[in-house]
Amino acid sequence: MSLYPMYARPRSVEEAVGLLAGLSSGAVVVAGGQELMPAVNSGTLMPEVFIDVAGIEALRGIDFNEGVLSIGALTVHRELQGNALVGEHLPLLANSASQVGGGWQVHNRGTIGGNIVAMHPLYDIAPSLLALEVELEIADESGVRTTAFADVLTDTRHGLGSDSLLVRVLARPQPSGSCWGYQKFKSTGGAYGSANAAAIVQLDGQSLSAVRLVVGAAAEKLEVIDLSHIVGKPWSEDVGRTIEAACREAISQPLSDQQGDAEWRRAMAGVVARRAVQQAINSQREEGAA
Amino acid sequence: MSTSQADSKGYVGKFVRTKEGRAPLLGKAKYTNDYTFAGQLYAHILRSPHASAVINSVDVSGAKKVAGVRLVMSGREVAEYTNPITDYLDPAVFGGKSADIRPMAVDRAWCFGQPVAIVVADDANIARYAASRIQVDYTPLEAVTDAEQALAEDAPRVVPEWDDNLLMYVPFVFGDTDSAFASAAHVVSTEVGIHRFSTQPMETRCYNAVWEHDTESITLYATSQNPHPLRLVLAETLRMPENKIRIIASTIGGAFGMKMHGHPEESLLCLMAKLTGRPVKWVESREECLLIGAREQRHYLEMAFDDEGRMLGLRDRFYANLGAPSACPGWGMAFLTGLTMPGPYRVRDIDVQVHAVNTNKPSWNAARGYGKESTAIALELAMDHAARQLGMSPVELRLKNFIRHDEFPYGSPTGLMYDSGDYGGALSKALDAINHEDWLEKQAQALAEGRYIGIGVAFELTPEGGAIPGTMVAGYDSSTVRVGPDGTVRVLTGITSPGTGNATGIAQIVADELGVDIDHIEVLQGDTNASPYGFGNYSGRSTIVGGGSAALAAQDVRKMIDKVAAALLEVDLEALEFQDGLYFGRGKPGTPLSFAEVCYAAYTRAYDVALCIEPPLEVTRTFRPPSIRHTPDKNGHINPYPSYSNAAYVSVCEVDRETGKVELLAISAAHDCGKVINPVLVEGQACGAIGFGLGGVLSEEITFDEGGRQLTRSFVDYVMPRMSDVPDITMVHHDSPNPDTYLGLKGAGEAGVGGSAAAVVNSVNNALQPLGVLIHDLPLSPPRVWAAIQAAEGGH
Repeated sequence: MSLYPMYARPRSVEEAVGLLAGLSSGAVVVAGGQELMPAVNSGTLMPEVFIDVAGIEALRGIDFNEGVLSIGALTVHRELQGNALVGEHLPLLANSASQVGGGWQVHNRGTIGGNIVAMHPLYDIAPSLLALEVELEIADESGVRTTAFADVLTDTRHGLGSDSLLVRVLARPQPSGSCWGYQKFKSTGGAYGSANAAAIVQLDGQSLSAVRLVVGAAAEKLEVIDLSHIVGKPWSEDVGRTIEAACREAISQPLSDQQGDAEWRRAMAGVVARRAVQQAINSQREEGAA
Repeated sequence: MSTSQADSKGYVGKFVRTKEGRAPLLGKAKYTNDYTFAGQLYAHILRSPHASAVINSVDVSGAKKVAGVRLVMSGREVAEYTNPITDYLDPAVFGGKSADIRPMAVDRAWCFGQPVAIVVADDANIARYAASRIQVDYTPLEAVTDAEQALAEDAPRVVPEWDDNLLMYVPFVFGDTDSAFASAAHVVSTEVGIHRFSTQPMETRCYNAVWEHDTESITLYATSQNPHPLRLVLAETLRMPENKIRIIASTIGGAFGMKMHGHPEESLLCLMAKLTGRPVKWVESREECLLIGAREQRHYLEMAFDDEGRMLGLRDRFYANLGAPSACPGWGMAFLTGLTMPGPYRVRDIDVQVHAVNTNKPSWNAARGYGKESTAIALELAMDHAARQLGMSPVELRLKNFIRHDEFPYGSPTGLMYDSGDYGGALSKALDAINHEDWLEKQAQALAEGRYIGIGVAFELTPEGGAIPGTMVAGYDSSTVRVGPDGTVRVLTGITSPGTGNATGIAQIVADELGVDIDHIEVLQGDTNASPYGFGNYSGRSTIVGGGSAALAAQDVRKMIDKVAAALLEVDLEALEFQDGLYFGRGKPGTPLSFAEVCYAAYTRAYDVALCIEPPLEVTRTFRPPSIRHTPDKNGHINPYPSYSNAAYVSVCEVDRETGKVELLAISAAHDCGKVINPVLVEGQACGAIGFGLGGVLSEEITFDEGGRQLTRSFVDYVMPRMSDVPDITMVHHDSPNPDTYLGLKGAGEAGVGGSAAAVVNSVNNALQPLGVLIHDLPLSPPRVWAAIQAAEGGH
């Protein structure tokens, strides 16, 4: 901790990870500052050095090459909402970015990288990224590695480790012919989510041929819900109840906070999950009708 | 009232853009925290992490070693320099108990968050860090956090010297309630749990105390609603003469009662400035701001009705959880909840028992509605419950029991004298405004589709502008109107503005009385060295007494100017005419004189034409509402309020059966605040109050763990409504002029929290009626509504 922190503005990934390696836990990376600065301002975090990565070009931009969408870690939520490539290939991500709380200020400043690295159980982007099975490009002094987002999440250490920098998010387009749904439940306009769910659904005629469902905000970690037992069935109220039950079972240790107790939280996970799958199917039907 | 010059050509009654609104919009307003002086120091306060504990020792040596630290003090040290803080309202005046309220805990902490030590340093970060180096040795004690449990014989005592935790018991008992209940065809019991919720202004509290070396006095820049009364409290607490203290209340970013005084930081900061000889500033964090509680009450109501639904008797026994003792006026809210019973209803036989109870939760301060919102919530939930039990419509039951418009002035059973109103008319207007019949149809249609729409009504009566004998809640107030030699006008008021725009309302009144352009008027408030002695802002009084006194002063100044004008024009006063800023003599040709020319003459020709007046052009007048009566009547009652604004509210909501979430679809209100000076100011206030009401019953709640430690620490926990949570509000006015005030004014700033809150709750219970669900424990957060639905469905 320090009462008078220093400030560094590296110009390249190499410079940044060099600083991180040298400073270890005394340094913090500043991107949009939406997670970090409130903690600094309230005195809960007193870093020695702010490493401002805003000047690193390699962390910016969205491109599409060889079937992979590469999103710079500094991409803000507003860009995710409006970018044509994201809109075309990852509409689920665009939608979940639009539901990030805090209004325009957060949407214009908050970054996808900061959102991921914060690993906050109530945040919006992560369930969609896990549903999309994205990979992360992470740099440290030894070089750049590519890791599945799912593997980062299972790591019990918080975040990426103090010597690493998230560079880019790599995603394959949502499968052609698939449909998607994102549902976020919050008690009131200014509240954090109490449960959210991202679903990617593939239909074979009326039957569900594949469902990838991720539930967030209800427990400390995201849960991928195993729905293999409903594959092949057409949508019905019964299937909906099965999804709800699967979620309730998967959320073994629900969170409890001022927005709601554990029992309600677990039930809400089921409701948003069912609604996300329903939303996906309805969107497909509407498209079909159109 | 004296005759008024105001007419339809003037500013009163019209939308006038607020004079003081521009600076905050542009980010140019100067709030208290915007004042910083040479040599500025900053304070940080260390607070008790325990709800109840013995303080064995406070070791400040670690903090003193931090570079940049100027002063560190424990509660014991502070106590050597200070008296206990004088109560804003001494409970003993009302037959209650008084405790010694020290600026900081001395040997014992009686609530979570109570100040224990203070650090003054070169900047806020150093002060905060140094505070973490203070070692306090506590022995935690069992805490009592529930008001009813606090009354148990063996409950821990919040104030060790007291026999019990009951700060005050007040019975409001009139008529023969037992007989009324014995003869009743129906008795309806309702239990209502109002939770702890707060007001949370955007600008938290801030004090910057400056030691003036030349005059050995203190200037305190303070977020204060009541600068003059605060000055007296500081004088007594700091053992200084009152005339050695100056308070400057700058632009305030919302107050809502929270910035009424008695807070320990007010005197602490002054002491720090005195001891260091430097300016010392403290800015309250949001976490600290959330410690200030309000409103938590549990009511046990019984209503007796005859066969036709006429209320014969009302019983209400209620317990207010005040938290720890405080010098702030929060506890008075419990008294007011009782005094305002039975609200707008004609029932005469009442038995209301107020239990104002101290516990180990943080203390209350005043919060918009000042207890009257709780009267409305308790009564209006009970009225809806009664309507259900009696099989009547909630509207019909209310119309049957309202005081009728031809019964005013109406003496309530608790002694209040309601000035005017048309309660039934207001309710009908609010129902029309929301298209009640349409919603009934939509409700039936939705139910057929398995959706749950509810419609709720509620009424709120709000005594405003109060005056309590023997206290600095004085009721009257004063203004000075000063017209300069160039004809521009300075108004100085004893009332202050919490950001409501009352200075603009007062400027409108003065502009009309003087016949000048509103742009020529400047209003100054909140500086005890400049303003006339006044009592500041509370109880929806500012335009009634601030506007009323400014009108009287302006009328007197206008008479002076008229006299000079007549002398200059060599005409009799009767022949003097004033139009469009010009004076001329009727039937006397010649060049008219401008207002400014006459004013200049009033200053510069004191020995000829202006001999008829006593210069300068400056008058201070007081408006003392004539309807306030402090001489007790034969029942021992006084009438402490000059104004009884009132309003009807209608809420429409839809409840999501699967999640318990309440979505508001529409709200209407028909509001009676007497004469409207500026509709946009009144409607802004009323909409703000509705935001308070709906946020309070749907999402805002201050919670504690079992040991009494507060869990609600930020806006992540304490969620106030956003625009997306607030439906379209249809606001209509249903004004009955107050016969006893200038232009017929009533309060307009305080009302609306309870009525809107109750309407929302009633709409939710109306929506849930088909499911057999009824919730009277607030707030109606999704988990609570969901759990009630689950319980009802499980019961099938």
